Amino acid sequence: MASKNTTKDIITLRGSSAIVSEFFGYAANSILYNRGVYPEESFVKVKKYGLPMLLTEDENVKSFITNLTAQLSEWLEAGKLQRIVLVIMSKSTGEVLERWNFSIETDKEAVEKGVSREKSDKEIMREIQAIMRQIASSITYLPCLDEQCVFDVLAYTDNDVEVPFTWIESDPKLIANPQMVKLHAFDTKIHKVDTLVSYKNDEWDEE
Amino acid sequence: MQSEAQVKFQKEANLRKNAESSEALAKDKAISLEEKFNHLSGSIERERKHLNNELSQFKKESKLSVSRIKADLERMECRAYSAENESELLKQQSEDLRVQLDECRRQKNEAERKILCFSSSSNDVNSSEALILVKHLQEELRNFESEVQEARMLKSSHESNELMQVKLLEEKGRRERVESELLKLQEVQLSVEKLEDELMTWRSMINEIPGVSCSDDIRRKFAALQAEVIQNMMKNGEVTAQLKEIEVVLEATELGKQYAESEAKLAKEKAEQSMSEVKRLELLLSSVNEEKDRLRKDANAGKTQRNVEPEAEKKSDTFIQELEDALAKKECSITELESQLCEYKEVISRQHGEIKLLTERLSNEARRLKSLERESDQLRSEISLLESKLGHGDFSAASTKVLRMVNTLAVDNEAKQTIETLRTELQKTKEKLQAVQELKVQSADAGNLIDSNISEKLAQLKAQIATLEKREERYKTVFAEKISVFRRACCSLFGYKIVMDDRQRSDGIPVTRFILQSLYAQTDDEKLEFEYESGNTNILGNDYASQPEISRQVEIFIRKMNSIPAFTANLTMESFNRRTLS
Repeated sequence: MASKNTTKDIITLRGSSAIVSEFFGYAANSILYNRGVYPEESFVKVKKYGLPMLLTEDENVKSFITNLTAQLSEWLEAGKLQRIVLVIMSKSTGEVLERWNFSIETDKEAVEKGVSREKSDKEIMREIQAIMRQIASSITYLPCLDEQCVFDVLAYTDNDVEVPFTWIESDPKLIANPQMVKLHAFDTKIHKVDTLVSYKNDEWDEE
Repeated sequence: MQSEAQVKFQKEANLRKNAESSEALAKDKAISLEEKFNHLSGSIERERKHLNNELSQFKKESKLSVSRIKADLERMECRAYSAENESELLKQQSEDLRVQLDECRRQKNEAERKILCFSSSSNDVNSSEALILVKHLQEELRNFESEVQEARMLKSSHESNELMQVKLLEEKGRRERVESELLKLQEVQLSVEKLEDELMTWRSMINEIPGVSCSDDIRRKFAALQAEVIQNMMKNGEVTAQLKEIEVVLEATELGKQYAESEAKLAKEKAEQSMSEVKRLELLLSSVNEEKDRLRKDANAGKTQRNVEPEAEKKSDTFIQELEDALAKKECSITELESQLCEYKEVISRQHGEIKLLTERLSNEARRLKSLERESDQLRSEISLLESKLGHGDFSAASTKVLRMVNTLAVDNEAKQTIETLRTELQKTKEKLQAVQELKVQSADAGNLIDSNISEKLAQLKAQIATLEKREERYKTVFAEKISVFRRACCSLFGYKIVMDDRQRSDGIPVTRFILQSLYAQTDDEKLEFEYESGNTNILGNDYASQPEISRQVEIFIRKMNSIPAFTANLTMESFNRRTLS
């Protein structure tokens, strides 16, 4: 009953961008940890979204993710970001093994007219929490990554976006005939983020 | 006829839709095949090149080493054979010499004995003769000594011969190794053939794709297919819009249907009501008829009574009159009721007609509803197909650009690892070289060979290291250039020269210190110091910051308003004003 009485929080474009880019930072850390791209001991536990989350302590990775989220929030505020993809590839062959796909729908009115929306922070946090739980549990169905892997981040932006200094145009790094699992979505009323993981088909399953 | 034609038309439309959906499926398949093909052809090409390179290298290396080793072997064999012969000969010679030496010794002993005899018996007489003899004997002795030396030399050559045999064995081992490598080479050749076969199959597959003669055609074709896909997407958009429209119409018709149903219910109720009224009227009619009959009977009875009682005739006449009047009235009301009944029947039949019409409309609507549902199912499946494509990562190049953040993590690691592996390899090679040098001392010829081999490899590795180091240097210079551009741009854009250094706090936590100096600073001491640690930036106290004017601004902007940019901007404006005014 009490929750019904809580007032809804005002969400601005800037605030929403901050929520989404922060979410991506934590999600990327969680994926790198859970998929074993970096060793377990290079992560520390922190509390976020009401869950114990893991953050990398590797200085290079840390600065990479910090620069990344800064750029993402810039694009999000301009409403130019359509999708973010975290790609996990084999280190030796460069073959793409997993694609963590975060599709973003931006409220055009909020970008063009600066309209703000209402949604409680608690509700957004609950939605993000569900996604984080799903990422953590994804190891139960995703194929084992036996080899050493590296990661890459792709951003699908509008065509008129100027390419920043540390970014280059790239191919989409697709997986041929992938398996797909749709995860939960979250919505700040300004940005709607749909999560989907596609991964390389395990040949043994088809036999 | 028209309805038949419509049905046919609908069938045709359905067929067309099916065909379109199968076409879309085929296109999808084609796209996935293209991707697979691109991927495979790329990897095959790369692998083939790589293998070809390796193969040619292997071939060259193996040929070289085989020929070298063969030549070595032959030489060694020849030498060994000759050495064996020589050693045999030398053995024989040494044997002879030994016999001779023994003989010589015996003779010498004899001579000495003789000399002693001579010296004892005729010391004076034959002294001159004896001297000559002694000289002669000494000469012979020298000769024998030289022979003995020769024999020793022969013996040493025999030893070297044995050493050569050991080397020969080593060389044989090497030959075996080379042969095994040759086997490997054959395997590699086989795999190359396999890859070529695969390439051929891919080529044949290209040939099988209609309208394609070379790989460029495929690109063109796929571009056309992509254009078609985009068109189809557009069509799909249109179709979804249509679907929405249809859904709206469906809802309207459903409302109409409900309305018609309720109307039909009402009409049925009305019909039932009127039926019950008709029944009631019929009952009324029958009761009236009965009454009429009864009255007639009464009238007849009255007539018979009139015949019997004439005095009551008058009374009965009026009574009859009354009765007849009532009868007439009743008949009148009967006809009225009958007409009313007819009217009701008409109304009922009309309502029946109306109900029939409504039920017909209802069944029509239901049919339409079903067809619309079918259509919506089809469209839904189409939408899910397109969504799966979207999930796969497809995008329209017309509206979207894919960017990748330059990831130097893997590159750095790779470069480091390559350098590390090269270093270990170098270390190993050095060790080998040392071993070889040791061997070289023993056998100059064989050593030279190995030395040349290793030095070649060493030179290769050194060249590799040099290129890698050059690359690293280049990265560093590019990075430095970009950094300096960035710094200068920051300085000219924000008005502060920024100096950054990393240090450790007393408790061991690493912090980054930033020293900002305004472009409009009037003295060198006008510097602001900030400390940055895991996302938090704090101002540090120094002489300049503790000036009352500055510390007041720090208090307002940083402590109260929590904004460093506002503080620095304000400071910039003040410094600028001061400078321009002064």
